[in-house]
Amino acid sequence: MSESPLPWAVIGAGPHGLTALKNLLERGVNAHGFERDSDLGGNWNYHAENSRVYESTHLISTKPFTQFPDFPMPDHYPDYPSHWQVHEYFQSYARHFDLYDHLSLNTEVVRCTPVGENADDGWDVTVADRVTGEQTTSRFAGVVVANGHNWWPKTPQYPGQDSFTGEIRHSAQYKGAEVLRGKRVLVVGAGNTGCDIAVESAQNSKSTVHSTRRGYYYNPKYAFGRPSDQTADLLLAMKLPLALRRIMFKTTLRLTVGDFTRFGLPKPDHDFFETHPIINQQLVYYVGHGDIVPKPDIDHFDESRVVFTDGTEAEIDLVIFATGYLAHFPFLDDDWLNPTGDHPVLARQIFTPRFDNLVVSGLIQPDSGQWTIAHWQGVLIASYAELMRLDPDRAREFYRDVIEQTHVRFTGGANYKDSTRHYYEIAHQEYLVALEGDLAVLEKVSA
Amino acid sequence: MRQWDWSVPSSGVYREVVSSMPAGWANESRSKRTPPLLFIHGLAHGAWCFEENWLPAAAAKGFPSYAVSLRGHGGSGGARKLSRTLLRDYVHDVMQTITELPQPPVLVGHSMGALVAQLVADRYSPRGLVLLTPAPLTGSTPNLWHIAKQRPASAGAAVVGRTLPMTADQLFPGLDPGTARRYVSRLGRESPLVQYQLLGRRHIGPVRCPVMVAGTRSDSLVRERDVERTADAYGVEPAWLTRADGSPIGHDVMLDLGWEQALAEVLGFITAQVMR
Repeated sequence: MSESPLPWAVIGAGPHGLTALKNLLERGVNAHGFERDSDLGGNWNYHAENSRVYESTHLISTKPFTQFPDFPMPDHYPDYPSHWQVHEYFQSYARHFDLYDHLSLNTEVVRCTPVGENADDGWDVTVADRVTGEQTTSRFAGVVVANGHNWWPKTPQYPGQDSFTGEIRHSAQYKGAEVLRGKRVLVVGAGNTGCDIAVESAQNSKSTVHSTRRGYYYNPKYAFGRPSDQTADLLLAMKLPLALRRIMFKTTLRLTVGDFTRFGLPKPDHDFFETHPIINQQLVYYVGHGDIVPKPDIDHFDESRVVFTDGTEAEIDLVIFATGYLAHFPFLDDDWLNPTGDHPVLARQIFTPRFDNLVVSGLIQPDSGQWTIAHWQGVLIASYAELMRLDPDRAREFYRDVIEQTHVRFTGGANYKDSTRHYYEIAHQEYLVALEGDLAVLEKVSA
Repeated sequence: MRQWDWSVPSSGVYREVVSSMPAGWANESRSKRTPPLLFIHGLAHGAWCFEENWLPAAAAKGFPSYAVSLRGHGGSGGARKLSRTLLRDYVHDVMQTITELPQPPVLVGHSMGALVAQLVADRYSPRGLVLLTPAPLTGSTPNLWHIAKQRPASAGAAVVGRTLPMTADQLFPGLDPGTARRYVSRLGRESPLVQYQLLGRRHIGPVRCPVMVAGTRSDSLVRERDVERTADAYGVEPAWLTRADGSPIGHDVMLDLGWEQALAEVLGFITAQVMR
């Protein structure tokens, strides 16, 4: 039994896979990563088959909370770096911490199989070499799933859609503005991607219609001469209550952008912080110039036309569904991640109630930058894996305690709107406080 | 939770980083390489104090050696905003320097730089942590009091926000007057806010790397008991740095007579504890 312990497998080499791998190794837990593309970076590796960034993608949160706390982005990066810079940043993180040597590129995980009852003896992970197609299986003590949740497109279906004479594509297939030129474009969805594409369409296409189910708060990237996410964190640091922060944000929007309905945009049907924040300073600008025509939800397609729920219609050449993504784990059984309804519900967004050695990193949608959280998820997973080896009984105790809190969500006091988009939404500071508490428990135990 | 870092982040400034590289180091495989050393200077000093003796000597022993000038010091930018500079700005400068190194370094901090090194190690896992005549985590108020009894004018200057005046016989009593004068003339200003911050107590989390704490028995700025307290905090025995003849070195262990012996102690620790 006491030969060298089995390593952990890390699936995916995006930011969450990288932080998991780095922190496991740093704590002396042997680990190996698998990445299906020829380079790391995940979504931020523009040329990868499953990358969903487009030519113009920039971060919508600024460096301080977006970066890894133990490996800050370079000073010469702007407040909101581009996806190219983000990819280079991940590469330099991996080089600095020597992760390339612990990573198999061009290697797709095709199947994870639990060994023994409740995977008590670990996991057999079957991988396929994407060049030769050869499959191999090796055993691991545990599995960190970090394959991302923004790559499997969610496409809606409207009446008449199949006989629509124009082109329909999901934003997953949108890489740059060339496809928009000269077209009459309909962009569906007001996520950050939908708003980005609507703006690019306003700059490049013949005409742009933007269909959204509801009104939203379109937040500026800068307000009062400061990046707005830093101001949001400042207000949280000052421990201002939710109600007061809502008033301040709404007042700011009112004073800077003005009344959304004046532009023909629908009035938001929800309160601030109840939907994932949209950070887009340009959308309202182009609406104000008539280059983006806002419309409600689609009712149906009629050959070359699209009819909206308010009865208006438009001739459209190209529809882009920026309707988001669903989490997808082709190498796991559906019921292993505790799906309630159609999506996994995990304790701390990390631990599965079924297996104590199958954890997920990155199944989060924070109201902030993400990779500070990626770091702390990695630290927590590594600390837990270390304890499983050093003191399995205490690790099990921790696991049982945390699983009992599977229902706990971290909403910062807000009621998120019911939508696939908010399945993994978290209020970042409240979530970090929870991870901090877990770490204190794990570290005290291991000390 | 580092809410202030997220909401009011440090701005970037030009950083002076000087280095000495051993021949052929970059061609070694990563597992065989000696770890890089990153030196962090103390109050009112700059990267120059390591550049003078230690960088080339450590490189000659096979260690890639880097020294950074914190903002407002040496050749780095930020002098005009020095009066608004905080310790976390120094932490920012060191973190930025680390991300440019090919692999995780051993942090070697001197005096105030040792405090900065500990704050850095609180968020980043270095290969090792070497604290030389370290400014105490428990706060330097007793040290200021100690200085006030000997040199009331110096302490008074620091209290009203001027840079703590330091003399050759405090820093490098073993040097000839000409060299000592040259070094004293290179001392710069210190941020008054940082000097005030040094007086307060700091708490940092557990460190997972090997730690060396070294002091000297003749230091009037960082006293023996300060060194012992820092060593206690990490559960290690303090090392006492001496010259070849056994007499104690001055506070500036990288400049004073006996710097060779002090460096040998540091490199010995790294070879024995970090490179195991």
